[in-house]
Amino acid sequence: MKGLRVFFVGGYISYRALFGFLSPWVFVPTLVLTPIFQILLFAYIGRAAGARSDEFYVIGNAMQYASVPCLFAMTQTIADERFWQTLGPILISPAGRLPMFLGRALPVIANGLFVAAFSLFAGGLLLGVHLSGAEWLRLAPVLLVATFSCTGLGLINAALGLRIRETAVLSNVFVGILLVFCGANIAVDSLPAWMGHVGRALPLTHGIEAARDVARGASLHAVRGLVATEALIGILYGVVGFGLIRWFELQSRRLATLERV
Amino acid sequence: MRTLRLLAFSWLLHFKMLSQSAFDGFLAILWPLFFATVAFFMFRHGHRSGALGPVALGAAVMGVWTATSVSASSALQRERRMGTLELLVASPTNLAFVLLPVTLATSTIGLYCIVATLIWARVLFGIHVPVEHPLPFALGILGIVVTIGSLGFLMAVAFVRSRRAWAIGALTEYPIWLVCGFLVPISLLPGWVRPISWALGPTWGMRAIHAGAFGGPAWADAGVCFALALCYVAAGALLLGRMVDGARRAATLSLT
Amino acid sequence: MPVIEAIELRRTYRTTTGVIRRRPLEVEAVRGISFAVEQGELFGLLGPNGAGKTTTIKMLITLLLPTGGEARVLGLDVVDRAREVRKRIGYVFGGDRGLYERLSARDNLRYFAELYGVSGKAQRTRIDEVLELVGLKGREQERVEGYSRGMRQRLHIARGILHDPEVVFLDEPTIGVDPVGARELRQTISDLIAAGKTVLLTTHYMFEADALCDRIAVIAKGQIVGEGTPAALKAGVAEGRVTEIEVFGVDEGTLSRLRVLDGVTAVTVEERDQKQLLVVQSDADREPTAVLLAQLDGFEVGRVSSREPTLEDAYVALVGAGE
Repeated sequence: MKGLRVFFVGGYISYRALFGFLSPWVFVPTLVLTPIFQILLFAYIGRAAGARSDEFYVIGNAMQYASVPCLFAMTQTIADERFWQTLGPILISPAGRLPMFLGRALPVIANGLFVAAFSLFAGGLLLGVHLSGAEWLRLAPVLLVATFSCTGLGLINAALGLRIRETAVLSNVFVGILLVFCGANIAVDSLPAWMGHVGRALPLTHGIEAARDVARGASLHAVRGLVATEALIGILYGVVGFGLIRWFELQSRRLATLERV
Repeated sequence: MRTLRLLAFSWLLHFKMLSQSAFDGFLAILWPLFFATVAFFMFRHGHRSGALGPVALGAAVMGVWTATSVSASSALQRERRMGTLELLVASPTNLAFVLLPVTLATSTIGLYCIVATLIWARVLFGIHVPVEHPLPFALGILGIVVTIGSLGFLMAVAFVRSRRAWAIGALTEYPIWLVCGFLVPISLLPGWVRPISWALGPTWGMRAIHAGAFGGPAWADAGVCFALALCYVAAGALLLGRMVDGARRAATLSLT
Repeated sequence: MPVIEAIELRRTYRTTTGVIRRRPLEVEAVRGISFAVEQGELFGLLGPNGAGKTTTIKMLITLLLPTGGEARVLGLDVVDRAREVRKRIGYVFGGDRGLYERLSARDNLRYFAELYGVSGKAQRTRIDEVLELVGLKGREQERVEGYSRGMRQRLHIARGILHDPEVVFLDEPTIGVDPVGARELRQTISDLIAAGKTVLLTTHYMFEADALCDRIAVIAKGQIVGEGTPAALKAGVAEGRVTEIEVFGVDEGTLSRLRVLDGVTAVTVEERDQKQLLVVQSDADREPTAVLLAQLDGFEVGRVSSREPTLEDAYVALVGAGE
């Protein structure tokens, strides 16, 4: 019975994660229009500063913005699980714990991938940045790994979200940190040393670099190191996030703390 | 006289409430700092950099819009949620006079942003912003707060029926930054965008602040800034009056 | 001249129905309500949820325009002279909402004082006065978020009378308040009358209407089904009698048969755990018990008792008759 509940409710929650910001009045402005505006903003700042090419900013911002659904949707998913009281059952179920969690993460990753790809396409179109079909084919796996990696951070954010009240503030802070450190608008090498170190420990950084290389013609083989590092970061963050969720959830049961709605 | 008293008191009250909110207060100050940081690095490494003072000023003003965009457009939604909207409509005071101080309070929070950004620029990036002409500078700051608050008022009225008003408000954040010439000179924008820029009060406020800091004629720009603010308020008040009348007839404002 | 006048008030809502294809639907919430309230009266609008009480009061306080009929407060038309009406009336509603949580009670009052034009010097004195009146003196610097429901209600009343209105409209003011707090609130409401104000109160608590009101109008489904002093309304059913019968598992069919029995005016059912309590109102000239029990043959019957009708019974009869 519990299994069935987890299954159906899980499906609904996943649906919400995918079109998570359920109303089109929220989805379209937040996930379709705003990333394009961000791309335009930084492309023009780049022109004003005489810094890098439009392509640099299109790729960087399209991928950085994927962090918005990755963080918000993942946090919302876990919060929903908590609300529907399916979180506990998933965590303690002996079999299929990992697949279940991956199942939850999948819509979030898909959402992030869509946002990155669409804004890359639309932003590129508006600024006259062209990518060939072959380049798109090579970009696809890079984008996928990057959004997967960012979803790992999303899990950590979700875990913290179980504990603190102002989850929106926290999510925005992470998005802002990524904006500064992950190389979206400033090449990581140009940053002060310590910032570069922080950046390379974050998701998206390697993925953005790989994507830029691919867009300039590099083969997937050439960027495999970057992609692998990105994937590894994602797995690491995911594991930490999962562990934190488990710890908080089980702790809250033991201490019989709030069922935070 | 009584109206002025009401506006002042109401503004102060809402400013107090917003200052205590983590989302409307704290995040409103922190969020633009991320963008300011990125902008400083971009300009520092760019070829067309020169002094970064104007960049710091532009980034500082960005915060005023951030503080206002979401908060102001969802102002009436907040009142509705708190259950105070119907009390406000039922009072003998015109709703426009009730709403305007609220949006002006949101843009006043922006003052925290300006100070925070300028300190950030100074301490972390060594960017110094001179203030050649303090009076026009102050007038420019006042102008931008007033005009952004007024624009917020117009938005609050325009989105009064929408429960997702905050999302539309959030949508305007980047476009306003871009189009009003905070970090990007208007001359770099496509031709068709420029009339939009000139129709927006913050553009003129930015020019006045810039002139006040670095020298140049500021009075005309400040004047246009305030004039546009007046237009927004007038338009908003008219629209609001019609909406409230319509709502009383068709029970559509769903005051609760 | 009556202080509050409602003449054939009507209010229709246009809404949509259906999930797939939305069809427009017109709902008549208020269907021709007329009453008048004299100066110094405490008038009650009594009715179940959805009867149209709140819609009626919202029309009187100018928040809604009537779709038919007229209303006047202090001789001023609520449609044409809304602003002047608003200056002279106070509006209080029940519940937790309607206050600025992050502000102190005093700040809340100062804000509304400004909105209602209570001038600078008089403001401070007036705020102290109303705080004293509602019994919140000493707690006015605390933030409203820490207030109990009863305290919030008292603050609501304080806000409603800040500008010393001649007429005060109270919409379910004691809803959700604990009994002690509610009693204190009712005392405060009575004090308003003593101060020379006219009060219109909506409620679905019968004992409240009975205890407080000079006159009551009973509303059901958008129409007035009875009007008069509490005593007069009780007298309307006083000739009858009320029989209470405990039954176990009576069905709707049997209830319908009971309702159409000769001399029975109303039958209501109260669920009490395993059993139901049937409350049967009937004409006074017959002894109904035997007939009733005959209908209930086959069911397990517990206690049977009869008593005098109360205002609640009058209310039930009136509301039931309107169905």
